Amino acid sequence: MADVLGTFEQAVLIAVLRLQADAYGRAILKEVQARLDRDVAPGAVHATLDRLEQKALLSSRLGSGTPVRAGRVRRYYRLLPAGVRALNDARAAVDNIWSGLQWPLVKVRSIG
Amino acid sequence: MTTSRSTAWPPRWAESLLRLLLSPRDRDTVSGDLLEQYRDSIVPTLGDGADGWYVRQVARYLFRKAWRWGALVGAILVTRYLFDSLAPVHYTRGVVHPRSAIMSYALMATFACGSGWQAYRSGSFGSALLVALATALFGGALSTAGTVTCLAVWHDPDTLRAIAGSGGLSEALWGVPLLLVPIGLITGAAGGIAGRLVDAIGFNGSRREA
Repeated sequence: MADVLGTFEQAVLIAVLRLQADAYGRAILKEVQARLDRDVAPGAVHATLDRLEQKALLSSRLGSGTPVRAGRVRRYYRLLPAGVRALNDARAAVDNIWSGLQWPLVKVRSIG
Repeated sequence: MTTSRSTAWPPRWAESLLRLLLSPRDRDTVSGDLLEQYRDSIVPTLGDGADGWYVRQVARYLFRKAWRWGALVGAILVTRYLFDSLAPVHYTRGVVHPRSAIMSYALMATFACGSGWQAYRSGSFGSALLVALATALFGGALSTAGTVTCLAVWHDPDTLRAIAGSGGLSEALWGVPLLLVPIGLITGAAGGIAGRLVDAIGFNGSRREA
Protein backbone atom coordinates (compact mmCIF):
# COMPACT_ATOMS: atom_id res chain seq x y z
CA MET A 1 0.00 0.00 0.00
CA ALA A 2 1.26 3.47 -0.86
CA ASP A 3 1.64 6.35 1.59
CA VAL A 4 -1.34 7.24 3.74
CA LEU A 5 -2.39 10.74 2.71
CA GLY A 6 -3.96 13.44 4.83
CA THR A 7 -6.90 15.48 3.52
CA PHE A 8 -4.73 18.47 2.70
CA GLU A 9 -2.19 16.31 0.88
CA GLN A 10 -5.01 14.80 -1.17
CA ALA A 11 -6.30 18.29 -2.01
CA VAL A 12 -2.84 19.34 -3.22
CA LEU A 13 -2.27 16.17 -5.27
CA ILE A 14 -5.72 16.43 -6.88
CA ALA A 15 -5.06 20.10 -7.67
CA VAL A 16 -1.87 19.04 -9.46
CA LEU A 17 -3.87 16.39 -11.33
CA ARG A 18 -6.57 18.86 -12.39
CA LEU A 19 -4.18 21.61 -13.45
CA GLN A 20 -2.08 19.25 -15.57
CA ALA A 21 0.61 21.30 -17.35
CA ASP A 22 -0.32 24.49 -15.44
CA ALA A 23 0.36 23.06 -11.98
CA TYR A 24 2.71 25.55 -10.33
CA GLY A 25 2.66 26.91 -6.77
CA ARG A 26 0.28 29.86 -7.13
CA ALA A 27 -2.18 27.98 -9.39
CA ILE A 28 -2.19 25.00 -7.01
CA LEU A 29 -2.87 27.34 -4.09
CA LYS A 30 -5.86 28.88 -5.90
CA GLU A 31 -7.24 25.47 -6.82
CA VAL A 32 -6.85 24.14 -3.26
CA GLN A 33 -8.53 27.27 -1.82
CA ALA A 34 -11.43 26.90 -4.24
CA ARG A 35 -11.92 23.20 -3.53
CA LEU A 36 -11.59 23.45 0.25
CA ASP A 37 -13.60 26.69 0.25
CA ARG A 38 -11.32 28.36 2.78
CA ASP A 39 -8.31 30.61 2.95
CA VAL A 40 -5.07 28.64 2.75
CA ALA A 41 -1.62 30.01 3.61
CA PRO A 42 0.82 29.87 0.68
CA GLY A 43 3.42 28.47 3.08
CA ALA A 44 1.20 25.48 3.85
CA VAL A 45 0.92 24.60 0.15
CA HIS A 46 4.66 25.07 -0.47
CA ALA A 47 5.55 22.91 2.55
CA THR A 48 3.13 20.19 1.39
CA LEU A 49 4.45 20.24 -2.18
CA ASP A 50 7.98 19.93 -0.80
CA ARG A 51 6.97 16.99 1.41
CA LEU A 52 5.11 15.21 -1.40
CA GLU A 53 8.10 15.63 -3.68
CA GLN A 54 10.38 14.17 -1.00
CA LYS A 55 7.99 11.21 -0.73
CA ALA A 56 8.40 10.77 -4.51
CA LEU A 57 4.67 11.29 -5.13
CA LEU A 58 5.40 14.38 -7.24
CA SER A 59 8.20 15.55 -9.45
CA SER A 60 8.98 19.13 -10.46
CA ARG A 61 10.71 21.14 -13.15
CA LEU A 62 11.45 24.82 -13.55
CA GLY A 63 9.50 26.93 -16.05
CA SER A 64 9.88 30.50 -17.15
CA GLY A 65 9.11 33.67 -15.21
CA THR A 66 6.51 36.32 -15.99
CA PRO A 67 6.51 40.11 -15.48
CA VAL A 68 3.99 39.88 -12.62
CA ARG A 69 6.53 37.68 -10.79
CA ALA A 70 9.35 40.07 -11.63
CA GLY A 71 10.74 37.39 -13.93
CA ARG A 72 11.13 34.80 -11.19
CA VAL A 73 10.79 31.25 -12.43
CA ARG A 74 7.84 28.97 -11.72
CA ARG A 75 8.17 25.44 -10.42
CA TYR A 76 5.77 23.09 -12.22
CA TYR A 77 4.68 19.85 -10.57
CA ARG A 78 3.64 16.53 -12.07
CA LEU A 79 2.02 13.54 -10.42
CA LEU A 80 4.20 10.41 -10.34
CA PRO A 81 2.83 6.82 -10.47
CA ALA A 82 3.34 6.52 -6.68
CA GLY A 83 1.18 9.66 -6.26
CA VAL A 84 -1.60 8.14 -8.37
CA ARG A 85 -1.43 4.95 -6.28
CA ALA A 86 -1.56 6.97 -3.05
CA LEU A 87 -4.64 8.87 -4.27
CA ASN A 88 -6.35 5.65 -5.34
CA ASP A 89 -5.64 4.09 -1.94
CA ALA A 90 -6.94 7.17 -0.12
CA ARG A 91 -10.17 7.15 -2.15
CA ALA A 92 -10.61 3.39 -1.68
CA ALA A 93 -10.16 3.77 2.08
CA VAL A 94 -12.84 6.49 2.25
CA ASP A 95 -15.23 4.48 0.06
CA ASN A 96 -14.63 1.46 2.29
CA ILE A 97 -15.39 3.43 5.45
CA TRP A 98 -18.62 4.82 3.96
CA SER A 99 -19.83 1.67 2.24
CA GLY A 100 -23.38 0.73 3.24
CA LEU A 101 -24.22 4.26 4.45
CA GLN A 102 -26.29 6.82 2.59
CA TRP A 103 -24.78 10.26 2.24
CA PRO A 104 -25.64 12.86 3.47
CA LEU A 105 -26.47 11.37 6.86
CA VAL A 106 -29.95 12.37 7.89
CA LYS A 107 -30.57 10.75 11.24
CA VAL A 108 -28.24 10.32 14.19
CA ARG A 109 -29.46 8.03 16.93
CA SER A 110 -27.66 8.47 20.24
CA ILE A 111 -26.68 5.28 22.04
CA GLY A 112 -26.40 4.82 25.80
CA MET B 1 3.79 49.90 -2.13
CA THR B 2 3.38 51.67 -5.51
CA THR B 3 -0.04 52.39 -7.01
CA SER B 4 0.19 50.26 -10.15
CA ARG B 5 -1.07 46.73 -9.44
CA SER B 6 1.35 44.85 -11.67
CA THR B 7 4.42 46.71 -10.45
CA ALA B 8 3.54 47.01 -6.76
CA TRP B 9 6.23 45.76 -4.41
CA PRO B 10 5.76 44.40 -0.92
CA PRO B 11 8.01 45.82 1.81
CA ARG B 12 11.56 45.15 0.63
CA TRP B 13 12.74 44.16 4.11
CA ALA B 14 10.01 41.50 4.34
CA GLU B 15 10.94 40.15 0.91
CA SER B 16 14.59 40.04 1.91
CA LEU B 17 13.71 38.12 5.10
CA LEU B 18 11.63 35.64 3.11
CA ARG B 19 14.40 35.04 0.57
CA LEU B 20 16.88 34.65 3.42
CA LEU B 21 14.73 31.90 4.97
CA LEU B 22 14.25 29.90 1.78
CA SER B 23 16.67 27.34 0.40
CA PRO B 24 18.46 28.32 -2.83
CA ARG B 25 16.21 25.82 -4.63
CA ASP B 26 13.02 27.62 -3.53
CA ARG B 27 14.26 31.20 -3.35
CA ASP B 28 12.93 32.37 -6.71
CA THR B 29 10.00 30.01 -7.13
CA VAL B 30 8.39 30.55 -3.71
CA SER B 31 9.07 34.28 -3.51
CA GLY B 32 7.79 34.54 -7.10
CA ASP B 33 4.55 32.73 -6.18
CA LEU B 34 4.04 35.06 -3.24
CA LEU B 35 4.79 38.17 -5.32
CA GLU B 36 2.36 36.97 -8.01
CA GLN B 37 -0.38 36.48 -5.43
CA TYR B 38 0.41 39.84 -3.84
CA ARG B 39 0.14 41.69 -7.17
CA ASP B 40 -2.69 39.66 -8.72
CA SER B 41 -5.17 39.32 -5.90
CA ILE B 42 -4.02 40.89 -2.63
CA VAL B 43 -3.27 44.46 -3.75
CA PRO B 44 -6.56 44.75 -5.71
CA THR B 45 -8.62 43.45 -2.78
CA LEU B 46 -6.80 44.77 0.30
CA GLY B 47 -5.22 47.96 -1.08
CA ASP B 48 -3.07 49.49 1.65
CA GLY B 49 -3.53 46.37 3.77
CA ALA B 50 -1.62 44.28 1.21
CA ASP B 51 1.73 44.99 2.84
CA GLY B 52 0.40 43.72 6.16
CA TRP B 53 -0.75 40.52 4.43
CA TYR B 54 2.70 40.01 2.96
CA VAL B 55 4.43 40.57 6.30
CA ARG B 56 2.06 38.03 7.91
CA GLN B 57 2.95 35.43 5.26
CA VAL B 58 6.66 35.96 5.91
CA ALA B 59 6.03 35.65 9.67
CA ARG B 60 4.26 32.34 9.00
CA TYR B 61 7.24 31.07 7.02
CA LEU B 62 9.51 32.05 9.91
CA PHE B 63 7.18 30.41 12.45
CA ARG B 64 7.21 27.18 10.41
CA LYS B 65 10.99 27.12 10.64
CA ALA B 66 11.13 27.87 14.37
CA TRP B 67 8.05 26.47 16.12
CA ARG B 68 9.39 22.97 16.80
CA TRP B 69 12.59 24.30 18.33
CA GLY B 70 10.66 26.95 20.26
CA ALA B 71 8.29 24.29 21.62
CA LEU B 72 11.30 22.28 22.77
CA VAL B 73 12.79 25.33 24.51
CA GLY B 74 9.46 26.02 26.23
CA ALA B 75 9.17 22.36 27.30
CA ILE B 76 12.69 22.37 28.76
CA LEU B 77 12.00 25.52 30.80
CA VAL B 78 8.62 24.36 32.05
CA THR B 79 10.08 20.96 33.01
CA ARG B 80 12.82 22.73 34.97
CA TYR B 81 10.19 24.90 36.69
CA LEU B 82 8.17 21.81 37.62
CA PHE B 83 11.24 20.08 39.07
CA ASP B 84 12.20 23.18 41.05
CA SER B 85 8.71 23.72 42.41
CA LEU B 86 7.67 20.09 43.06
CA ALA B 87 11.02 18.47 43.84
CA PRO B 88 13.16 21.37 45.13
CA VAL B 89 16.90 21.14 45.70
CA HIS B 90 19.20 23.52 47.57
CA TYR B 91 21.00 25.92 45.26
CA THR B 92 24.28 27.48 46.45
CA ARG B 93 25.30 30.83 45.00
CA GLY B 94 28.32 30.43 42.74
CA VAL B 95 27.94 26.67 42.40
CA VAL B 96 26.33 25.26 39.26
CA HIS B 97 23.88 22.54 40.26
CA PRO B 98 23.66 19.55 37.86
CA ARG B 99 20.01 20.42 37.28
CA SER B 100 20.97 23.91 36.06
CA ALA B 101 23.80 22.52 33.96
CA ILE B 102 21.57 19.97 32.24
CA MET B 103 18.96 22.62 31.45
CA SER B 104 21.58 25.04 30.10
CA TYR B 105 23.19 22.41 27.88
CA ALA B 106 19.79 21.24 26.63
CA LEU B 107 18.83 24.83 25.72
CA MET B 108 22.14 25.52 24.00
CA ALA B 109 21.91 22.26 22.06
CA THR B 110 18.38 23.13 20.94
CA PHE B 111 19.38 26.56 19.67
CA ALA B 112 22.50 25.22 18.00
CA CYS B 113 20.61 22.39 16.29
CA GLY B 114 17.74 24.61 15.14
CA SER B 115 20.03 27.27 13.72
CA GLY B 116 22.50 24.75 12.33
CA TRP B 117 19.75 22.93 10.47
CA GLN B 118 18.39 26.22 9.08
CA ALA B 119 21.86 27.35 7.93
CA TYR B 120 22.39 23.96 6.31
CA ARG B 121 19.03 24.06 4.53
CA SER B 122 19.12 27.69 3.42
CA GLY B 123 22.86 28.12 2.98
CA SER B 124 22.52 31.39 4.88
CA PHE B 125 24.05 32.32 8.23
CA GLY B 126 21.62 35.24 8.61
CA SER B 127 18.62 32.94 8.42
CA ALA B 128 20.14 30.83 11.22
CA LEU B 129 20.20 33.91 13.46
CA LEU B 130 16.64 34.75 12.45
CA VAL B 131 15.45 31.27 13.41
CA ALA B 132 17.40 31.49 16.70
CA LEU B 133 15.66 34.78 17.52
CA ALA B 134 12.20 33.40 16.62
CA THR B 135 12.93 30.24 18.65
CA ALA B 136 13.90 32.35 21.67
CA LEU B 137 10.80 34.55 21.44
CA PHE B 138 8.39 31.66 20.90
CA GLY B 139 10.08 29.43 23.47
CA GLY B 140 10.11 32.28 26.01
CA ALA B 141 6.41 32.98 25.45
CA LEU B 142 5.60 29.28 25.88
CA SER B 143 7.71 29.12 29.02
CA THR B 144 5.90 32.08 30.57
CA ALA B 145 2.50 30.63 29.63
CA GLY B 146 3.50 27.24 31.05
CA THR B 147 4.79 28.77 34.27
CA VAL B 148 1.57 30.73 34.77
CA THR B 149 -0.46 27.55 34.15
CA CYS B 150 1.63 25.56 36.64
CA LEU B 151 1.30 28.37 39.14
CA ALA B 152 -2.46 28.31 38.76
CA VAL B 153 -2.46 24.59 39.59
CA TRP B 154 0.21 24.51 42.32
CA HIS B 155 0.38 27.64 44.47
CA ASP B 156 0.45 26.33 48.04
CA PRO B 157 2.96 27.93 50.48
CA ASP B 158 5.47 25.04 50.17
CA THR B 159 5.56 25.35 46.39
CA LEU B 160 5.92 29.14 46.55
CA ARG B 161 8.79 28.73 49.03
CA ALA B 162 10.45 26.24 46.68
CA ILE B 163 10.11 28.66 43.77
CA ALA B 164 11.58 31.49 45.86
CA GLY B 165 14.55 29.26 46.71
CA SER B 166 15.25 28.51 43.04
CA GLY B 167 15.55 32.11 41.86
CA GLY B 168 12.08 33.47 42.40
CA LEU B 169 8.94 33.85 40.38
CA SER B 170 10.20 36.86 38.43
CA GLU B 171 13.12 34.83 37.11
CA ALA B 172 10.80 32.04 35.94
CA LEU B 173 8.21 34.39 34.46
CA TRP B 174 10.36 36.85 32.53
CA GLY B 175 14.00 36.70 33.66
CA VAL B 176 14.89 33.43 31.92
CA PRO B 177 12.61 34.03 28.89
CA LEU B 178 14.36 37.37 28.26
CA LEU B 179 17.76 35.77 28.76
CA LEU B 180 16.89 33.34 25.99
CA VAL B 181 17.44 36.02 23.35
CA PRO B 182 21.20 36.51 23.91
CA ILE B 183 21.71 32.80 24.71
CA GLY B 184 19.81 31.86 21.56
CA LEU B 185 21.69 34.31 19.35
CA ILE B 186 25.12 33.24 20.64
CA THR B 187 24.55 29.48 20.49
CA GLY B 188 22.48 29.90 17.34
CA ALA B 189 25.44 31.69 15.74
CA ALA B 190 27.69 28.76 16.65
CA GLY B 191 25.15 26.33 15.18
CA GLY B 192 24.77 28.54 12.12
CA ILE B 193 28.52 28.52 11.47
CA ALA B 194 28.55 24.72 11.80
CA GLY B 195 25.58 24.41 9.43
CA ARG B 196 27.20 26.69 6.88
CA LEU B 197 30.44 24.72 7.08
CA VAL B 198 28.64 21.42 6.48
CA ASP B 199 26.76 23.06 3.62
CA ALA B 200 29.96 24.52 2.13
CA ILE B 201 31.84 21.23 2.35
CA GLY B 202 29.23 19.86 0.00
CA PHE B 203 26.95 17.58 1.96
CA ASN B 204 23.93 19.45 0.71
CA GLY B 205 24.01 19.18 -3.07
CA SER B 206 20.63 17.47 -3.27
CA ARG B 207 18.59 20.54 -2.34
CA ARG B 208 20.07 22.61 -5.16
CA GLU B 209 18.58 22.53 -8.62
CA ALA B 210 20.45 20.30 -11.01
